[in-house]
Amino acid sequence: MSLTQATPKHLKPIVLVEDENGLADEIKIELERLGYLVQIASIAEAANSARVGDAAMMIMDRLVFGEDSLKTLEVLRKEGVKVPVLVISALSTVDERVHGLAAGGDDYLTKPFAMVELTARVEALLRRLDDLRTTKLQAGDLEMDLIEQAVHRGSVRIDLLPREFKLLEYFLRHPGQVITRAMLLQDVWHYHFSLETNVVDVHISNLRKKIDVRGHSSLILNIRGAGFMLNADA
Amino acid sequence: MLEFLRSSAVRVAIAFVVATTVATTAIFGLVYFQIKAADQKSNRVILEDEAAKSVNHTIDELKYAFEVRLTHGLRRLDYAALFDADRKFMFGNIDELPAIPLDGKSHFVAASPVPGGDNRMEPAIFVARTRPDGSIMLLGRSLLETLAFRRIVQSALATGLAPMLLLALAIGAFFARRASRRLTTIHDTIARIMKGDMHLRLPVRSQHDAIDKISRDVNLMLDEIMRLLVQIKGVSDNIAHDLRSPLAVVHAQLERGLESSDSEELHGAARQALAHIDKAMLTIAALLRLADVEYGPKSSKFHTIDLSAICADLFEFYEPLATSKSVKMALEIQSPVQILGDGDLMREAVSNLIGNAIKFTPEGGTVRVSVAQEDGNPVVRVRDNGIGVEPAERDKIFQRFYRTASGHRVPGSGLGLSIAAAIANLHDFDLRFDDNHPGAVFEMAGRRK
Repeated sequence: MSLTQATPKHLKPIVLVEDENGLADEIKIELERLGYLVQIASIAEAANSARVGDAAMMIMDRLVFGEDSLKTLEVLRKEGVKVPVLVISALSTVDERVHGLAAGGDDYLTKPFAMVELTARVEALLRRLDDLRTTKLQAGDLEMDLIEQAVHRGSVRIDLLPREFKLLEYFLRHPGQVITRAMLLQDVWHYHFSLETNVVDVHISNLRKKIDVRGHSSLILNIRGAGFMLNADA
Repeated sequence: MLEFLRSSAVRVAIAFVVATTVATTAIFGLVYFQIKAADQKSNRVILEDEAAKSVNHTIDELKYAFEVRLTHGLRRLDYAALFDADRKFMFGNIDELPAIPLDGKSHFVAASPVPGGDNRMEPAIFVARTRPDGSIMLLGRSLLETLAFRRIVQSALATGLAPMLLLALAIGAFFARRASRRLTTIHDTIARIMKGDMHLRLPVRSQHDAIDKISRDVNLMLDEIMRLLVQIKGVSDNIAHDLRSPLAVVHAQLERGLESSDSEELHGAARQALAHIDKAMLTIAALLRLADVEYGPKSSKFHTIDLSAICADLFEFYEPLATSKSVKMALEIQSPVQILGDGDLMREAVSNLIGNAIKFTPEGGTVRVSVAQEDGNPVVRVRDNGIGVEPAERDKIFQRFYRTASGHRVPGSGLGLSIAAAIANLHDFDLRFDDNHPGAVFEMAGRRK
């Protein structure tokens, strides 16, 4: 497989705090392959980068060298540092995720995870639409009016169930990003557990039936081994 | 011995003896001094009273009165005499006026000659008073009997105190010995437990004293530790077991891929290996999840949740999947059925049940989800008319990794029901299986309190 080193998508690096060298290297390689700069750092170094605004985002292992990185994160948040933070952790107790988010994490990923799950979340955090006041979302000739709760494809109005609407909205808010099943479960249904069935796929295929136009490629693409992606060119 | 003296039980016993001694002595002393004071007071009052009454009698009357009182008076006098103004003896039973003021008050005289008792001396109290004619009247009482009585009281108290102290000592020693013996037993038992005899427990008698209470608590703690140890071992055994085979498969696949010169074959092998690793990770995640639910600290997030709303939500979530498999779904809820619990966990438990039911129901079947309050108890039922569970397998389905013979072709970690059962248990619910003739009913019902 030949890969050309992509030009960095962000000028600022993603700061990675992870004491497991193997995992840190893998994360770095994978993110660099996707065109990001990655800087492996200690908690203190990461905090400094975040304070002076030198980090695009942070990926923090919950426990690094026996230290709870959430404490540092809490301090940073109190100081008003707004950098996006993805917390990764081997701690999976019932309340841990809640703790991670309460301390100021923007997302929480439990080890072991597939690399695509991590990269998808990194992309989502880096390209988060901070402006939630948007009233209209668009992809190709599909338009979603968030106030009217209406979806049109061209001039045709599409009727969606409330959950289908939410699902489509999520895709429209993350154009061109890989979206995993776990992300959909977590953000659209607010289910915080993993599933052994392909329910999410069935929901996606039902949504496709409603929004896709015959003869055109689907608006939602399957990404093999990863999840889905909004096809903005459809 | 020194260690024995230092032990808290012995200290308590010694303190007990000391306290008993001090208290007893104080009471005895008080009794003694009260008796002494009362006795003295009555003696003095009698004498002074008598002297005041007789001071104006004529000499003859006095003479007569002395005789009567000295021989058979009820308010007994031991001494009575009259002296003239020059302190010369006139009559009575004492020859010489003792050296006391003539003030009509009683005075103590340590040694006074006993009347008619050849040179014997005794302690006494006297009252001397000048009469109108100048003569001096002397009245007195011997203290011999009083002192004898006091001595009797003293010795009685003393002889009483000794056995009292011995008794306190004995009782104290008894309790100290008993307590120290129990503590020694407890100490020895704990030492043996720490050495690995995990099945041992501290002795608990039927009584309910402080040591028993602590012993009972320690025993409960030991039970809990035992349970956790068994579970940790179980979890690690399971992880080891469930990882060994996929690792072996992955190893073989990658080896085969590397040996082949065809890059297409290497690719295929890598893909298969990846799929196996994904499955293994899913299993680890499920196992850790199970361990969290079962042995993690009880969630602090318990609050009022509505089972009906949770089931309705999951029903909506799963219906498209059922439809895609041509399985019908039905929902029967009475709204709302509220319990105290963790919404995320309850959703997970019910999700596992519904997911399972759809998995094992063939085309044309129906999965029914119902929530009801039965006799005040919340019940969630998920029934299907699918393949059901063979009678021989019914008590095994809640075991970890157990997958029915017919279920082996269906993907899954085999932990879904275990997780559901653990979550039910965390909420004081029971998860039970029943036959639906045909199919299965999984019933999650609140335990009666």
